[in-house]
Amino acid sequence: MRKLSSAIALMAPLLIAGAPTPSRAADMTFERALNTSKEPQNWLLYYGNYQGYRFSPLTAINSETVKNLKPVFTVALGGLQSGGRYAFGNLEGTPLVEDGIMYATDGWGSVYAIDVSSGTRGVIKWKFDPGIDRAWAGDVACCGVNNRGVALWKDKVISIALDGRMFELNKATGEKVWERKIADPALGETITMAPLVVRDLAILGPAGGEFGIRGFIDATDLNTGKQAWRTYTIPGPGEPGHDTWKDGEEHWKHGGAPVWETATYDPETDTIYQGIGNAGADWDPQYRPGDNKWAASVLALNPADGKIKWGFQYTPNDPFDFDEISEHPIIDAKVDGKERKLVVHAARNGFFYALDRTDGAFVAGKQYVDKLNWTTGLDPETGLPANYDPKADVQVYAAGSHGMRGQPMATVCPSHFGAKNWEPTAYNPNLKMLYIPSIEGCDGLQTVAQKDFVDQGGPLKPRDRFSGGSFKMTGRLYGSLKAIDPTTGDIKAAVRLDFPNYAGALATAGNLVFLGQADGNFTAYDAKTLKQVWNFNVGTGINAPPISFAVNGKQYIAVLAGSRQSPFVMQSDPSLKFSSTTSMLFVFGL
Amino acid sequence: MIGRSVHKLPATFIMVASIGAITMNPPRAQDTQSAQAQRVIAQGKDIFKTKATCQFCHKWDASGDQGYGGNAASLRATKLSPAQVAETIKCGRPGTGMPYHDRFAYTDKRCYGVTREQLGNAMPPEPNAFLNEDEISAVVKYVFATDVGRGPSTYQDCVEFWGTETRQCEPMKPH
Repeated sequence: MRKLSSAIALMAPLLIAGAPTPSRAADMTFERALNTSKEPQNWLLYYGNYQGYRFSPLTAINSETVKNLKPVFTVALGGLQSGGRYAFGNLEGTPLVEDGIMYATDGWGSVYAIDVSSGTRGVIKWKFDPGIDRAWAGDVACCGVNNRGVALWKDKVISIALDGRMFELNKATGEKVWERKIADPALGETITMAPLVVRDLAILGPAGGEFGIRGFIDATDLNTGKQAWRTYTIPGPGEPGHDTWKDGEEHWKHGGAPVWETATYDPETDTIYQGIGNAGADWDPQYRPGDNKWAASVLALNPADGKIKWGFQYTPNDPFDFDEISEHPIIDAKVDGKERKLVVHAARNGFFYALDRTDGAFVAGKQYVDKLNWTTGLDPETGLPANYDPKADVQVYAAGSHGMRGQPMATVCPSHFGAKNWEPTAYNPNLKMLYIPSIEGCDGLQTVAQKDFVDQGGPLKPRDRFSGGSFKMTGRLYGSLKAIDPTTGDIKAAVRLDFPNYAGALATAGNLVFLGQADGNFTAYDAKTLKQVWNFNVGTGINAPPISFAVNGKQYIAVLAGSRQSPFVMQSDPSLKFSSTTSMLFVFGL
Repeated sequence: MIGRSVHKLPATFIMVASIGAITMNPPRAQDTQSAQAQRVIAQGKDIFKTKATCQFCHKWDASGDQGYGGNAASLRATKLSPAQVAETIKCGRPGTGMPYHDRFAYTDKRCYGVTREQLGNAMPPEPNAFLNEDEISAVVKYVFATDVGRGPSTYQDCVEFWGTETRQCEPMKPH
């Protein structure tokens, strides 16, 4: 307690750091993006900083004062319309806040500029609706109608829509300056991720790993609205890694490896770290013999030209749908007495990884999920699964943990949804703890031999599902929040949760961790013990990560609320069967 | 006791699910139905498309699918009778991804003579929306009027489902 009080005293200047709301916000520059800690009152980047921390240095709301935290206002948003395969859009976005103006998105890509400077009411200054053909885009969205947020650049807001377009908007008025088509639903491509802006480039990629796309990472020059570079996540002929697609029938052309979460960026080495999704067809590894690079991997790239510096593949020839699109935080830490430059990842496959971010060398790895049955561990030298066979074209991980043609249903733990899906971790650099919101439990996988697309002589048409089988729930999933040491993966504290996590965490210098859940509980935990210290139920499921900001010297916590989980996720969770979705911004203050 | 009841379930269920029904090949219903019947079919379409989102798993043309909707059966190729399809919508299919839609299913023995407790992990998933008897009847009428017993869907079928204000049917347009 004494320690906390002195920490708060040291941070006192931050308590009054909230700048008065200016009539016109300053341009968002690369310099400001590099130095977000100098503007603790603002939440300027998707992860709060380029390094992927989701950490607020604000301390007014802390483990002592949080008991007084209460909702101060809410704002109803839109985006609930049906489209394609979906009855409504979800809220998964991370709002940005700059000088009292919040920029939030709904699932169908509408952007809301909300004046939150009064602290008592959110006033929507403008709304930009991209006007999506909802049936067209929603029919090839794998797993929901989602949009995870915008980026700021100069005096513009950069937004995306599910139908594959990116927009440059006037920050003051919401008027569209230009749009660029990046992904094409005609090919099964959609965009759900928030753009990463590095200097004058906006970096994005397409979802569509369940629709037979070939993934890519794409940069747009924001000065011109034109493509700066595109790097395919599945190497083409002659490129390193192309020989890891051994079917001989060019299945790499539909091999997946999508991109649907924002990369982290290390200014020191001028490198972006992009998580890459699953290989397609998801559950038929015999369709795609070979390691299938760079599916289920992280790629380190030069943001100026998209050249790959190195790659590390987590699950070669992945038979589970273990996307590894989620965040890769950048941490400098002492490992075995030596200063290391790390990039870390709480992987969907159930292991935590620390890699050397200069060359991709494996530094440490450890299981963080409660139950894991598909391998016995990680090779201490390579970081590959212990039962990976470099001579095998089709990997056979632990018997019965994944489907194979002609075999009965397998059971995989963690479930194919992952130990952690897209929902982001948070990192407290003061405590040096990484908070992982995880999904616990198992499910069943059944392989069905995948048919080819028409361009390869088969019956499948573009936009058809391309999964090589299916999954089946075999019991109730639950969740957990775990605090780990990112140099070793050792679990320092953990709390079991009733529902699997689909929201994401926020850490604050007030020694708190905030997390929303499917039953509407929005909870603060003590950052050291993970003991619950505060809770408010918003009355609908939360699928979005919270943020913190300050206006006129007062700190707030904000989160978007409005989701109803899929029947698969909620199977055997009858307590939520009558729950409804909505589309709301909640803002909390002392 | 629970184990014994669950063990008994497949026999009951298989019997219901596999009785060969009289092959249904209805005429194009919209041509011959009364205005009231057409309204019921339109209601069934809305439930299939949006309210219960049956198309998420079964595809818009009810031809069945795989992947994130589970291994969903084709209703175009089904041999089930309308009563059997209605029962499957009401009760789901235990041990599969097909949800139940009667909100009291498995609270008593109305479905296959078993309860949620007896089914354990074979309990069908919760639905996107609960449906009453009239709604289930409307969905059944819709799929039998539109999909059951028909061959591959056509561009015209697609336009009838999605309308013309979307690009959705462009890939099926005859050249």
